[in-house]
Amino acid sequence: MSIDLLAVSGASKHFLGLRAVDDVSLRVRKGEIVSIIGPNGAGKTTFFNLLTGQLAPTSGEVRLRGELINKLAPHNRARLGMGRTFQIAKPLIALNALENVMIGAFMRHRALSTARDKAMAVLEKVGLAHQARVRAGDLTLSERRRLEVARALALEPEIVLLDEVMAGLNQSEVGQAIELLQGLHAEGLTFLIIEHNLKVVRAFSDRVVVLDRGRLIAEGTADQILNSPEVVKAYLGDGHQAVELGAL
Amino acid sequence: MNKTEQPILKTSPAAGVAGATATGIESGNRALLKYLAGMALAFLPFVLLVEDAHWLNIIAFTYLMGGLAAAWNIIGGFGGQFSLGHGVFFGIGAYLAARLYVAYDLSPWITIIPCALFAALVAVLISWPTFRLRGPFFAIATLAFNEVAFVIANHFESVTGGPRGIMIPFKAGFANMIFRERWQYAVLMFVFLALVIGITVVLRRSRLGYYLLAVREDEDAARASGINVLSVKLQGMALSAGLTAVGGTLFAMYLRFIDPPTIFNLQEVGVKFALLSLIGGVGTVAGPLLGAALIIPFENFLRAELANALPGMNLAILGLLMVLAALFMKRGVVGAWRDLMLRLRPKKGGEK
Repeated sequence: MSIDLLAVSGASKHFLGLRAVDDVSLRVRKGEIVSIIGPNGAGKTTFFNLLTGQLAPTSGEVRLRGELINKLAPHNRARLGMGRTFQIAKPLIALNALENVMIGAFMRHRALSTARDKAMAVLEKVGLAHQARVRAGDLTLSERRRLEVARALALEPEIVLLDEVMAGLNQSEVGQAIELLQGLHAEGLTFLIIEHNLKVVRAFSDRVVVLDRGRLIAEGTADQILNSPEVVKAYLGDGHQAVELGAL
Repeated sequence: MNKTEQPILKTSPAAGVAGATATGIESGNRALLKYLAGMALAFLPFVLLVEDAHWLNIIAFTYLMGGLAAAWNIIGGFGGQFSLGHGVFFGIGAYLAARLYVAYDLSPWITIIPCALFAALVAVLISWPTFRLRGPFFAIATLAFNEVAFVIANHFESVTGGPRGIMIPFKAGFANMIFRERWQYAVLMFVFLALVIGITVVLRRSRLGYYLLAVREDEDAARASGINVLSVKLQGMALSAGLTAVGGTLFAMYLRFIDPPTIFNLQEVGVKFALLSLIGGVGTVAGPLLGAALIIPFENFLRAELANALPGMNLAILGLLMVLAALFMKRGVVGAWRDLMLRLRPKKGGEK
């Protein structure tokens, strides 16, 4: 029996009266790609923040490799093997791309020269090596997103949490990004992603979970989920045919 | 050490071209060379003006303030924690070493390091709660610490001499860190400057240095990258405060008289460290030294030329210049220089 890489059981987060996340349980096995979808305000990012340690759950448990991490600070979760990107990319704009990735690489490589070698290798992997010396503030949106992924990869994580990493990218950039993530997945990396683009979800997920008003309302393969009447209702309201999501 | 660096340069063809456009990572040898050249340049005025007692004073003080600004720059510039309370650590170095020397005849050479460690400890204790504050709120809190230190120094006469201050008797001798000749002080201050800038050069290429930059740029991104933000801030503050205390000890032995209005003077101490860094280029290695080299002699010139003719005019002009610098050179002299270099570069490419 293998332990789940990430296991959430009964996690809730209440803000005063609002149940932003309400009794959500989720398991992510090693090597899986799990997508979280749901309408705006469903609590996806709040749920993410419970996993990364930005927020502490009101109740419930979060475990990484079986270890209870409810109260662990974000930097210690990074040490345990959790990488993440932010919904709004957070490049360190005064540093160049290479230095941005070095910030991540320093966690496991104390010396400047090894951290730099490691960072350069990661930049090559995400296709940003040619921009290594460019200030992060001068990169395009798509390059900034790649840089975020690179900084997370430099931590040498076991699981990477991607928060809408495709948002704002054009068709071909989305295609390239999927290719990149699939390559990383082939190397054994586990992903938990929040994604609005249902084409990406369909192309890239082993499993999809749906959040709506803080609750987990459905879980299954991409095909099952995108054809489920309940999910369509959550997204589009009553009176729509399941076909509309399934056709995507 | 250099052998591991070479493959990187080979795999990145853009490095040579774009190196100057960003905060590039230069090789260890090049950083060392730049450091030595910079220090030689800084030492030049001393060599040229060693016979001139008036200038020698200004030069010694410029070295001291350059070193202090560079010490502030470690947490204020690299770490982005805009402290206006470094007068506290400066005061600890000055008062503690002076009292130990006057009362117990302990040489400042012996006490200077323990005093610095004590200042670092105090820095950690008072920063622990205040680092929860961000931006201007942190600056205001540190400002308050400076005022508290002023009151404490005025009150505890047994240690600080209260408002009367501490007078250090003139007993010339290397062991006492008291010198007959001005040039000897200038050399002492230069060694301090070279030490602090040297530490900054090493820091800029170290993990702690990069972590300080990451914390300055974005705390959430830093945390997600495995950085213990509070610990990094505290380490930066301890290093900065310790070096500031060393400068305080040197200042006390140089002036041989200290009292609260001199040591905890915001304009001349706490805020001045930040100001010199801002003018020169905050968060850069050379910035604080450049700021001191421009402002300290200029201040002296204005004071000498204008203060008697038109009282307050020297301060008005200085204030005006600082406003202009804030408006038109937001990243200081170093930033303006980098912008100029950037503007010149593309032209070259265009002509080809």
